[in-house]
Amino acid sequence: MWILSWLALFSIPQDVQFADPVRMEAGGTVVKTETPGYAAPCWHDVDRDGKKDLVVGQFQGGKMRVYRNLGEGRLESGRWLEAEGEVAEVPGVW
Amino acid sequence: MDLDQDGNLDILSGSYSRMEGEMAGLFQVLWGRKEGTFARAKPLLSEDAKPLVLPGDEGDRICTRPFAGDLDGDGHLDLVVGSMGPSFSFFAGKGKGRFDPRARRLEGSNLWVDSHSDPFLVDWDGDGDLDLLSGSAAGGVFLFPNEGSKTSARFGRRVTLVKQPRDLVPQGQPDVLGDAHLRGPGMATRVWADDTNGDGKLDLFVGDCVTLYHAAEGVSAATALEKLAAWKKAVAEIPDGDGWSEQYSRLTAERDAFVTDESVGFVWLVRRK
Repeated sequence: MWILSWLALFSIPQDVQFADPVRMEAGGTVVKTETPGYAAPCWHDVDRDGKKDLVVGQFQGGKMRVYRNLGEGRLESGRWLEAEGEVAEVPGVW
Repeated sequence: MDLDQDGNLDILSGSYSRMEGEMAGLFQVLWGRKEGTFARAKPLLSEDAKPLVLPGDEGDRICTRPFAGDLDGDGHLDLVVGSMGPSFSFFAGKGKGRFDPRARRLEGSNLWVDSHSDPFLVDWDGDGDLDLLSGSAAGGVFLFPNEGSKTSARFGRRVTLVKQPRDLVPQGQPDVLGDAHLRGPGMATRVWADDTNGDGKLDLFVGDCVTLYHAAEGVSAATALEKLAAWKKAVAEIPDGDGWSEQYSRLTAERDAFVTDESVGFVWLVRRK
């Protein structure tokens, strides 16, 4: 296959450098949306425990998945964000 | 963010389009409640009690991506909004979740992306004003430095922070099965910036959309890839004209016998050194 130069990923001022991208994992598996994709991440303390959590929106059903931050670089397996006792859905997305 | 400044976290989202009336991607809000829960999504209304919508052609109004930040430094959250188009729009905030219904296009010397603009406001260079980051339909992450001030934004030349896949992968490369070959964000990028490890530098979360191929059950990887290459050649050779759709549908049905595909989205963490 092809070999990618990770330095080639970026075209930025010389004083800004990035490490290789890594896919977020939670609960031992890669964070992945339902089909057809379109992951929209947010990093915010949703459960108000002082640690920022990962929230990922997706196209399917306009749903959002919350991955609680357990500390020490670990995220819990995701659960659907709820609103008024049901899985929250943003209308007009799918 | 706390959009209406009531002390509760709210969730702001864009959308593809409302289903009635003229197509327009409404801004949907899940208003936060005191106990930390959320109400069901409701459209964000302007001062005249009508849903806030972008002006312009259909492509400028749908597939919205709003971001709330105080871009004009008046103490009220404003909205900077992306859409299916390449540019960015601004709704002035009036405080407590109210916004001027009249949007204006944000101007800059090079303020555009391929399509599906995806604004994120953050002080990237630490000079006290808000800069603009964006993903795009073709992937990549771009920085538009604010060369104005915290009360009068003026966005400068675009800087590429993460290159698009088309700039990384040579044309004509063979297909690969699974996802082990992925090394960075794909298409349809959505960006969020934050200091994830407390080193004082902003890192990037990048959501994407990729199509993965898998060998069908009972088919070896080598056979699947060989047949996939032949299939793509056959698709490319379908003559233009009335029968194109029918032939494509037939070939796609045949493809299911040796390859399945899935479109999914991953979230990449791109840490600043």
